[in-house]
Amino acid sequence: MSKEEAILSIEDLTIGFAKQRKMKTVVDHISFDVKKGEILGIVGESGSGKSMTALSVMGLLPASAKILSGGIHFFGTNLLNLEEKELRQLRGTGISMVFQDSMTSFNPLLTIGAQVEEMLRLHSKHTKEEYRALTLEALTEVGLPNPSEIYNRYPHELSGGMRQRAMIAMAMITSPKLVIADEPTTALDVTTQNKILQLLKKMNEKHGMSIILISHDLRVIQSICGRAIVMKDGRIVESGTVTELFAHPGTEYTKQLMAAVPVLFSRSDPGQNEASIMGLKENANTNTEKKDNNADQSKRQEEILVIRNLNVFYPEKGIVFGKKGRKQVIRDVNISLKQGETLGIVGESGSGKSTLAKAIVGLNREIEGVIKINDVAVKDSEISVSRPQMVFQDPYGSLNPTKKIGWILEEPLKLQTNLGKKERMAKVNEIIHQVGLTSEHLERYPFQLSGGQRHRVAIAAALIVNPKLVILDEPVSSLDVTIQAQILGLLKDLQKKYNLTYIFISHDLNVVFQMCNRVCVIYKGEIVEMKEVRELFFSPQNEYTKELLKSAMATV
Amino acid sequence: MKIKGKTCSFNYILGLVITSLVILIVLIGFFYTPYDPNKMNAALKNSPPSLSHLLGTDNFGRDILSRVMKGAGTTYIIAVAIVFIGALFGTIAGALTGYFGGWFDEVLMRFNDVLTSFPSILLALVFVSVFGPGTYNIVYALGIIFIPSYARMVRSEFIVLKERDFVKNAKLMGAGNFRIMFVHILPNTKRVLIPSLLIGFNNAVLAEAGLSYLGLGVQPPQASLGRMLSEAQSYMLDSPWCAIAPGLMIILTVLGFSLISGGLENE
Repeated sequence: MSKEEAILSIEDLTIGFAKQRKMKTVVDHISFDVKKGEILGIVGESGSGKSMTALSVMGLLPASAKILSGGIHFFGTNLLNLEEKELRQLRGTGISMVFQDSMTSFNPLLTIGAQVEEMLRLHSKHTKEEYRALTLEALTEVGLPNPSEIYNRYPHELSGGMRQRAMIAMAMITSPKLVIADEPTTALDVTTQNKILQLLKKMNEKHGMSIILISHDLRVIQSICGRAIVMKDGRIVESGTVTELFAHPGTEYTKQLMAAVPVLFSRSDPGQNEASIMGLKENANTNTEKKDNNADQSKRQEEILVIRNLNVFYPEKGIVFGKKGRKQVIRDVNISLKQGETLGIVGESGSGKSTLAKAIVGLNREIEGVIKINDVAVKDSEISVSRPQMVFQDPYGSLNPTKKIGWILEEPLKLQTNLGKKERMAKVNEIIHQVGLTSEHLERYPFQLSGGQRHRVAIAAALIVNPKLVILDEPVSSLDVTIQAQILGLLKDLQKKYNLTYIFISHDLNVVFQMCNRVCVIYKGEIVEMKEVRELFFSPQNEYTKELLKSAMATV
Repeated sequence: MKIKGKTCSFNYILGLVITSLVILIVLIGFFYTPYDPNKMNAALKNSPPSLSHLLGTDNFGRDILSRVMKGAGTTYIIAVAIVFIGALFGTIAGALTGYFGGWFDEVLMRFNDVLTSFPSILLALVFVSVFGPGTYNIVYALGIIFIPSYARMVRSEFIVLKERDFVKNAKLMGAGNFRIMFVHILPNTKRVLIPSLLIGFNNAVLAEAGLSYLGLGVQPPQASLGRMLSEAQSYMLDSPWCAIAPGLMIILTVLGFSLISGGLENE
C-alpha cells in the first residue's frame, strides 16, 4: 500500500491511564493505516483497547487517559498537534462516529430532525429550507420510511434499528472521509443487525468513505469488512484481509476467538473454510449424541412443566384514578417440557420472550390459562421449594450491589430452607466451587468481579436451592465470545450433573443451536413454530422462522 | 488524596478536618468548660476577649467560650433529633409508597404535598405558637416538617430500584415484601440518603438557630447557638464578639458538613 492511499495512518500509538501513580497502558505501540474507501474491522474482546484507539482518533479520550507516544495522521496532518477548535471542525466534516447505544447518544429532548440538521448547521452554510431538504434527503438515504414524519419524532419514539439508521444519517450527512462505527449493531437483534450492516456497506460503496468498524463479534467483521485487525491487551496480534484471517488464522488468539464463536448451524456453502467445517462436524456429533441421551431420558422422566392455553397480559396504567386496561402480550401458548431437556425460545426483542419467562416463574400474575410445574399450578403455590429459578441477562443488575457475594448466595437458603448458619455456609462454599470460583470470592462485592465471574455467581445463586427448572434469559449475550463459551460449557456441565431442565431464551441463534434440544420461535406473542433443533434450523416451515434464520446466517 | 485506598477530593478532606474540629469542641464542652456557662458576673459585663476570657463575655458577664461550647452541644443534639425523626418516618413512608404504589401512595403523597406547600419555618412557628415554645416542641415541629423531603427522596429511589433485576430475583427466592424493602432495597439508597442526612443536619442547625433567635426554641438561661445570637443582637455594635463566636460556629458546622456531603455525592 502506498502512502497516498492511506487517509488515516496511526503510527506507534500508545495510550495509558494513570492509575495509582502508575501508568497502565491500554493501547501499546500500535500502527495501522486506513485506506481510501475501505472498511477496516477492529476486533477484540472488551478491554483490548479497540474503543480507546477509536476515541483517540476523534480526540475524545477521557481526561484521565494520556497519549504517551506516537502520532495519528489524517491526510498528512498529525491530529495530536491540532488545537481543540481545529479538531472540532474536523469532527463531522473529516471524521465522524456512530456509537453503540443510539438511545443515549441522541439528546432525548430534541427531535431527530433537529439533531441530524444540527450536524449540518455546524459545518456548512445553507438557508433554512435547504437544511431541511438536505436532512430529509439524508434520512431517506438511510432507508427510513416517511422521513418527513421521522424528522419531527423524538428519539424514544423510534425503534433501536431506526435510531441507529438516524445516527448513521447524522454521521454521513456532512460526507466525511472517515466514519468510525463503534459496535454499531451490538444492541440490536439479528434481523436488524444485518440490515444496519448492509446499510453501512451501501453507504461505503456509494460515497466512497472509509469506515472503521469496531466489534467484538467476528461474524459482524466478516460480513462487511475487507481487512481486519485483531487486538488483544492493547496490541495488534494479527492483521490482514478478512478472507485470509478466517482461512488461516496466524496466531493462537485469533484461532481461539474464532473457535469461541458458537459454531454455525448452517450446512453452509461448499466454499466454507476448513476450521469452521471441522467445528461444525464436531458440533453435529456432540449434538446428536446428546440428543440420543436425552431421548432415552425423556422417556423415563416425567413432564416437569406443562403450559396450556396461556395468555399473558401487561397492565396498562390508567390516569390516576382512571380505568386500568391490559394489553395482551402472549397469546395461546402451549408448551410441555420434560426433565433434563433444554428448550430454546427465540424471537426478536419485543416478541414476548421475557414476558413468557416471567409468567413461568411467577413474576407476572396477569395470566389466563394453566402453568403447571411438577404438577402444581403456579397460581396456587406462591412459594415452593421446587419453584423455578431464573438467571437474568445482566448479572450486574440482578446481584444486589450493596451485598457481598457470600450474603447473596446465602439469602435464598435463609428464605427457603431451615438450615443453620453452618450448614448454609457449607452449601455456599460447595456451590461457589461448583461454578468455578473460590471461597475468596465470597468476601467481594459484585462490582469487584469481572463480567464472567458475575455470571457464575448469578448461576450459583439460582442453583443453590436445587431447582429442577432454570430459566436462562439471554444468559450470555452481554459477554465476550471466549467467556461466552466458558459459561455455556459450565451450564452444560451443571445440567448433566444435576439433571436440570433449562429454558433458554436468546436472540442469538448460534448459541441456541449449540445448547438446546428443542426450539420454539415466538413472533408477536405467539409460537409460530416449535420443533427439534436440527429439524427447525435445517427445514423451517414458517415464513418468519425462515427470515430469522436467513438474517442470522447472513451475518455469519 | 486517599483515605482507605479511596481517592478523595480536597474539599472532602477539608470538610472532614473542619467537622472533626467542631465536633471535638462540642465533645469537650459536654465534660469541661472553662467557666460555668450560666454563671453571671456583673463586674465583667461585655468585656472584650482577653487571656482569662478567650472570647470575651456577654452582657451578663458570662464566658462566651463556655457558652459556645455548651450551646453548640445543645444545638447539635436538637439537630440530630430533628433529622432522626424526619429521616426515620420519611424513609418508612417513602419506602412504603414507593414500593407499593397505588392509592396508598396517592394519599400519602398528597398529604406530603400539603406539608411542603407551606414554608417550613412558618409551619414551625404555627406549631410552636399552638403548643408553646420549648426545646422539645421545636424538635417535634421541625422533625415533622423534615419528613416530606426524605419521604419524597426515598420514594423516588424505591420506584427506580424496585424494577431492578435483583429485586425480581429476591422475589423468586421467596423473600417477603418487607424483607425486600428493608434488607434488599434500602441499603441501595444510601448513595443519596447519607449526603441528604448531612444536609438535613445543616438545615436543622440553621432552623434551630432561627427559631431560638426568635425566642421560640431553647429558653434562657440555657445556651444554644441561636439563643446566643439573639441575645447578642442588641449589643452588636458595642461588643461584636458576642455575635461573632456563635455565628462562626454555625458557619463552620454548616460548611464542614456541606463539604463532606458534596464529596460523598461526587463519588
